Amino acid sequence: MTEASEDLRDLYQEIVLDHGKRPRNLRKPADANRIGHGYNAMCGDKIDVYLTIGGDGRITDAAFQGQGCAISTASASIMTETLKGRTEAEAKSLYESVHALCTEEGAVLPDALDDDTADRLMVLAGVRQYPMRVKCATLAWHTMQAAIDGQANEVST
Amino acid sequence: MLSFTLDGGHAHDVATILDQQGVAVRAGHHCAHPLMDRLGVAATSRASIGLYNDRADIDQLVEGITAVKRILKL
Repeated sequence: MTEASEDLRDLYQEIVLDHGKRPRNLRKPADANRIGHGYNAMCGDKIDVYLTIGGDGRITDAAFQGQGCAISTASASIMTETLKGRTEAEAKSLYESVHALCTEEGAVLPDALDDDTADRLMVLAGVRQYPMRVKCATLAWHTMQAAIDGQANEVST
Repeated sequence: MLSFTLDGGHAHDVATILDQQGVAVRAGHHCAHPLMDRLGVAATSRASIGLYNDRADIDQLVEGITAVKRILKL
């Protein structure tokens, strides 16, 4: 196996392929009260993120619809799994962490995250070696942030 | 020029993996959104050959596509 293929194993880990092929929470919840629209015109990735946020500011449901590559689909799927039960503030802070993870060498996730969540998010760090693919991994997260902020306009990365 | 799609593999994943195998293809809409809509595809990969390409380059593309299928488990 060549070195290049080893790198690709980092990008296309089993968990990315699994979430890419069988995305979780790929649906439109009837009770969603925050919706974000994301679009990457360069590659054609399109995503709608649906959040249901309760009166206490906690996310009770998170889902998405759209089409994209394995990385963007997996990132969206992992994101929806990660958001449930978190507050808006926690979700925003996660957005910052994931963004850093995808773009900065040596970036780490907050210690407060449980190991299972941290392990799942860490696979997204694989895009660091592929600048062209960073936007694939961050589109869902940008869109989620816009949904929380009540931004109706389409977000593009 | 040959535009193609792989069942279960998005054009951008295909292009990234081919790139690592030394094969440069273009992936995406190719500035032809209406055609993509008409064809009902999200994106395609496109291989082009020029005067400087030879048979070995084509073989490398074929090997590259085999690698794509292996890595994406298609």
